[in-house]
Amino acid sequence: MNWTEKYRPRSLVDVVGNEEAKERLVNYLRSWDRYPKDGILLYGPAGVGKTASVYAAANDLGYHVIELNASDVRSADRIQRAVGGLSRGRTLDAYFWGRAMRPLVFFDEIDGLDPREDTGGLSAVLEIASKKEFPVVAAANFIDPVKHKQLLQSFEVVEFRSLTPRQIIVVLSRIVREEGLSVGREDLVKIAERARGDARMAINMLYSLSMGGDVEALANPMENLPINMLLQRISSSISLPEIRALIEANPQHWKDVLYTYFDIIARSPVMKDDRRLSLLGVVSLVDTMIGRMERERMYFYMRYIPHLLSWIVYQANKWGAVYDGRIPEYRFYLFVSNRAVREELDALLEELGRRLHESRRKFLVGTLAPAALLHRNQFKKLYEWVSRTFGLRV
Amino acid sequence: MQVMKIKYGEPFRIPRRLGDLFKDVVRIDGVDYVRGEGFTVRDYYALSNLNKILIRLGLVLLPMVTCTICGRDVDCEECEYTDVCRKDVNLCLCRECTYSEDVVDKYRLSVRKRVFKG
Repeated sequence: MNWTEKYRPRSLVDVVGNEEAKERLVNYLRSWDRYPKDGILLYGPAGVGKTASVYAAANDLGYHVIELNASDVRSADRIQRAVGGLSRGRTLDAYFWGRAMRPLVFFDEIDGLDPREDTGGLSAVLEIASKKEFPVVAAANFIDPVKHKQLLQSFEVVEFRSLTPRQIIVVLSRIVREEGLSVGREDLVKIAERARGDARMAINMLYSLSMGGDVEALANPMENLPINMLLQRISSSISLPEIRALIEANPQHWKDVLYTYFDIIARSPVMKDDRRLSLLGVVSLVDTMIGRMERERMYFYMRYIPHLLSWIVYQANKWGAVYDGRIPEYRFYLFVSNRAVREELDALLEELGRRLHESRRKFLVGTLAPAALLHRNQFKKLYEWVSRTFGLRV
Repeated sequence: MQVMKIKYGEPFRIPRRLGDLFKDVVRIDGVDYVRGEGFTVRDYYALSNLNKILIRLGLVLLPMVTCTICGRDVDCEECEYTDVCRKDVNLCLCRECTYSEDVVDKYRLSVRKRVFKG
């Protein structure tokens, strides 16, 4: 039997870490019918005990968990069908399960539901929760403050954080004791260091070790990070080697890191303009490299991109750029909020495109976007810059 | 450079005149200010963003946590895992409790007291 399953906590006292979050979950389950919010949303990285806490708390407080995974059940119709009968069947359920076993609806991986792409799935969850017929708990790895705004408003939001290495040691010590393993402290320390706060990963590593695996060969703690975790880690680091190591270990996110930093450098209210300009110059260079690597298969750029990208991140962090948790879309138009300015800009682009024999889009994204951001959308200054740079009277 | 130790969620005062930087400090997501009490920092990301500003005034804030089992203060910078830990929790464990023989039972007992209030 899989150890993560075998040692799944049966009670909240067996769940290690996130004490405050567990306390809030228990408070909600004890008073969900008079709770000010419609449900409770647990969010945090994988393997930190969100699902385990729900099942363990349900066990402690006498609930019967009905789990719906948002990756499988996405449409409003399917969600209503799965949960709709619950209130009607409540009396019967109480008869069979005994009075203490009440239903608890658990929507796992709710971040998989997109309010625009899925046919009413998220609205159905919100509607079910608003009726307050039973406690509703949702779990997510990453919540987009814009996309899931309604969910954040209706649900009590509880953050689960990665376990500290010392907490991982407690998780492992329990298994070592119950399995009667003879594992040295140095090996436990190595696992705790490499598990990057993920208890599930740590248990799997201990399992591999007990089967004769080599602890040195276990996973690199920096590889395959989710994009939000990678951005949080690089944006909070002030060490260039650490940033470089993280970027080198996650080549699948280079583009997202670049575009996110393009956005936060451009919008930083504290960064001086000459610094902003120098960083945007390097951003543009790396963007060109990634583009040529993808289009023309010039893979030798892979050697240089992590160095340049980590330099951008390091300097941006040092000069006061702040990552606010959003992965922006690469759309310059979002920064121009005034409609009149947007229309004027459209006319200008038409004119410039015509005069410079260049496509409107190419000019917009490649040249004008960084320039407009530098001038902080002050259109008069932008006019002057365009006139000066292109020798045009527009 | 002056170093000051703080705990997440507990108010503290910054021993410098912030002047114009005050606006930038209170704008950081995860940093709150209550007049009369001082600043509170919610997590490690807020702390690192706050340090980016305070470093200009020659001040660095370092996190400190509480041991879940014995309640002692634990200094993150002296922990053997300081380089790999994200240091964004309020409760951790001290060295003595972590490596004691009966850590699992002690931990269960402390969680029972904290979460179920007895």
